[in-house]
Amino acid sequence: MAKRIGVYVCECGTNIAEKVNIDRVLAAVSPLKDVAVAERHKLLCSGDGQEFIRQSIAEHGLTHVVVAACSPKQHEVTFMNVCEKAGLNPQLFQLANIREQCAWVTSDREEATDKALRQIRAAISRVGYHAPLENKEMQCNPDVLVIGGGIAGIKASQVLAAPDRKVYLVEKTSSLGGKVKGFSKLFTNMESGPGLITKEIKSLLDNKYVEVLTESEVEQILGFLGNFEVKVIKKAEDAELDFNVGAVVLATGFELFDPTGLPRYGYGKLDDVYTSLEFEEMNIPEGPTGGKILLKNGKPPQSVAIIHCVGREEKGYCSKVCCIYSLKFDRMLKAQLPQVKVSHLYSDLCIPGKSFQKFYEDTRGLGVEFVRSAKTEVAGDGKGININYETEGGGKSELAADMVILLPAMEPASDAGKFAEMLNIPRDNKGFLVEEHQLLGPVASAVEGIFVIGCARGPQSISESIVQSEAAAGKILSALVPGRKLELEVRVSEISASFCTGCKTCLDVCPYGAITFDETRRISVVNEVLCHGCGNCAAACPSGAASLKHFTFPQIYQELKEVLR
Amino acid sequence: MSNKGQDMPVLVIGGGIAGIEASLLLANSGRKVYLVEKTSYIGGNVIKFEEVFPNMDCATCMIAPKQQELLADENIELLRLSQVESVSGSAGDFSVKVSKKAGYVDLANCIGCNACFEPCPVEVDNEFEERLAKRKAIYIPCAGALPNVPAIDTDNCLRFKGQECQACQEACMFEAIDFSQQDEELELKVGAIVVATGFESFDINKTTQYGYKKIGDVYSAMEVERLCASNGPTQGQIILQSGQPPRSAAIIHCVGRDQKGYCSSVCCMASLKLSHFIKNKLPEVKITHFYSDLCIPGKAYQKFYEEVKESGVDFIRATVTGVAQSGKERVINYKTEDNKESTLAVDMVILNPALEPGSDSAKLAGILNIKQDRDGFFSAKEPDLTSIATVQDGIFIAGCAQGPKDIAETVAEAEAAAGRILSLSK
Repeated sequence: MAKRIGVYVCECGTNIAEKVNIDRVLAAVSPLKDVAVAERHKLLCSGDGQEFIRQSIAEHGLTHVVVAACSPKQHEVTFMNVCEKAGLNPQLFQLANIREQCAWVTSDREEATDKALRQIRAAISRVGYHAPLENKEMQCNPDVLVIGGGIAGIKASQVLAAPDRKVYLVEKTSSLGGKVKGFSKLFTNMESGPGLITKEIKSLLDNKYVEVLTESEVEQILGFLGNFEVKVIKKAEDAELDFNVGAVVLATGFELFDPTGLPRYGYGKLDDVYTSLEFEEMNIPEGPTGGKILLKNGKPPQSVAIIHCVGREEKGYCSKVCCIYSLKFDRMLKAQLPQVKVSHLYSDLCIPGKSFQKFYEDTRGLGVEFVRSAKTEVAGDGKGININYETEGGGKSELAADMVILLPAMEPASDAGKFAEMLNIPRDNKGFLVEEHQLLGPVASAVEGIFVIGCARGPQSISESIVQSEAAAGKILSALVPGRKLELEVRVSEISASFCTGCKTCLDVCPYGAITFDETRRISVVNEVLCHGCGNCAAACPSGAASLKHFTFPQIYQELKEVLR
Repeated sequence: MSNKGQDMPVLVIGGGIAGIEASLLLANSGRKVYLVEKTSYIGGNVIKFEEVFPNMDCATCMIAPKQQELLADENIELLRLSQVESVSGSAGDFSVKVSKKAGYVDLANCIGCNACFEPCPVEVDNEFEERLAKRKAIYIPCAGALPNVPAIDTDNCLRFKGQECQACQEACMFEAIDFSQQDEELELKVGAIVVATGFESFDINKTTQYGYKKIGDVYSAMEVERLCASNGPTQGQIILQSGQPPRSAAIIHCVGRDQKGYCSSVCCMASLKLSHFIKNKLPEVKITHFYSDLCIPGKAYQKFYEEVKESGVDFIRATVTGVAQSGKERVINYKTEDNKESTLAVDMVILNPALEPGSDSAKLAGILNIKQDRDGFFSAKEPDLTSIATVQDGIFIAGCAQGPKDIAETVAEAEAAAGRILSLSK
């Protein structure tokens, strides 16, 4: 069928008309091949202007449309909708931006007219090569897999579960509750961690839309947003469970940096040097001391030194919550041993936000000492522990203590690596899983449909972890509505099976994990559900096999040819 | 579990990054959203920053796609120049009264060409540019403000002072300016409410020791943001009142922290960002930070600090006791923790103030019957568990209206509020 292209030039009031001689433009484009009609209008985006185009498409039986007006950011969608209303596939449209890119930035009227003409000829040349891409939809599964049975995973499961949305919560150990169940007190309300966890687990187990799988490992996750196939091994029964979900939430939590690697803290060598988690353990009734704060010799300590930022320099980041939970330790110590002398050895107090300062001031009122220090070293002589440090002014000083509590940096739990590899999610140089966008996509990952919450994405407080579990739920509830199909991006990449040489270059440059390698055919394959149409693969492919729909090489060359003519 | 109000519209109060994110998620799920914004545009505080830490993303570029998505979303009804006047009812069934001021510019006709500015005879201080520049009585509040239509400042427009001026109306070729528009009262029925009214900066005029507004070349951090901005009053040139670039600058952290009684979370990073801006443009400037504790929490910020420090920026842990003028220089008097007093002479002083809740928080807390903490931020029912749920079922808070926080935390809270509203669990 012969092409019949309509060209519409917008005056945009005087915005374009003042700088571009539209009559000259129309006279130049009207005789071009395939141009059936070329006209001007005062304001094409107005209701009147849109109706003008719609009628013109019908009247002239157009096959393609070019509008020369403002930025596509402003009105590309407007004009694509006009085409659709006129019965034309909206992809058979091209916008030439002769306002922002021409009239507003070119002072000479003749030059501006020449430039506008090049832009419009390029659009005409390009639009003839557009393909009528069709919108696609996909069925999706609203169920969700949550990995990790700590507070973040438990909360995410509760918010997500519903009669039309089943949640599978997989925990590798034999019990739910994660780290929080080992915290005798929580900041700042000083309520019981086990108490909170017991309540939350009960509410979770009462929820018939959640299937809790403890002592289970996720072996495999294949698929994409709306359609993941999951394989779980139930270790106790040695049984395999297969099911499908639409989204996955990773809540694999944290571990502490191991201070054994830093001999200057004496950890593992001296009695009575503890990590913060070991001190927590000492405070729960089920713990090794029955909840009593005791030295190895069975006596309560008379002095305790709390050393901040253990491993901070090695890790290269601040673990955010150590300062505030160390203040909680002060309160636990003072509650049990009112006479105990407590000294903090720290460099900077990091207590961000509106509520921690008061907690700090109240804690300080209990009689706790804060010593600015650097290069802290812990030594023992069999009788006691001596801590040498450098003061703020650079001098040397020392402090004796019966007990030392180290506040080690927080690291991602080891499973973060396993799932990063399984799901193709990038990790930062510290091992934390990377967000889709550090600021705007805090709980999403680079792979659509996979969410990362809590300490798997960096040190967090309990409340921040819970907010993130609710946030992941928000993203999932918004995207995967039971019974609703997912609309797919139409301008996606495709890789020609006959041209692909199997070099795998595209796999490395795809930020969305949308390309997989078909081992039997030895070629790369694009998953259209995951592809965002960024074009990285098309640019990187050395054999020309990868191309991006709507930005194909012929389309781009046709455009360039006229711009450079 | 209850299903009450599951299909009801949602009211979102505040069109900053939190309100935008919550609205988009709710609308995408199929819910109708009313977004009430008191100014004429959406974008909030974020669009005031040319770049945001730690990756120095261009802020307006970063959120423009979200703003545009919101404006194009048929499920979202944006009520600009609007304020919530009353709320009654309970979760799943709230009745809300909203007053909507006339904007006098027709959104459907205006193309944002700015032709109306030139003929306007009124010139006043531009508050967006921290009063470092002028604007007209009809104006676009700031770059990045969307929808891209001008606002009319009825406090200063001659027409609203009883004069016959119609200069802007005559200049508009699209008949977009319509002085016959009337204020409206709207009645909305909604199932849930998200409060995302953001923050304001502590008023440095409440302090005396820093010489703010009394000594020349003492600036607030926001003023320096605008001086550094390529679209700001000096096109990004950092210059003193003399027109000369500074040779030295002092950045004072924690201004107002003692009065407010809390750490504002983001100011250390914001101060480091100013160092980064200044060093980028004027590598020879000697910069000194005066701080007490460096608060750069989380996995992402330390690296930025190290880079700034390596660019040759000094950090002095001290309390600034006063700023005085001495000839052409400003002299910082400070006391270190060992009680030693010293001074430092600089060309430029930059004060980084605490963050405060929005000024209408108290009124809104009364209307919504939710609680404020002692600092005026909205308080959560169980802040140690989740910062977003209030004492009122169905009413959630997100972002800096609840307390100072960075953009990532703000966005997470907005998504969390949407999550709780779309969830069946209570």
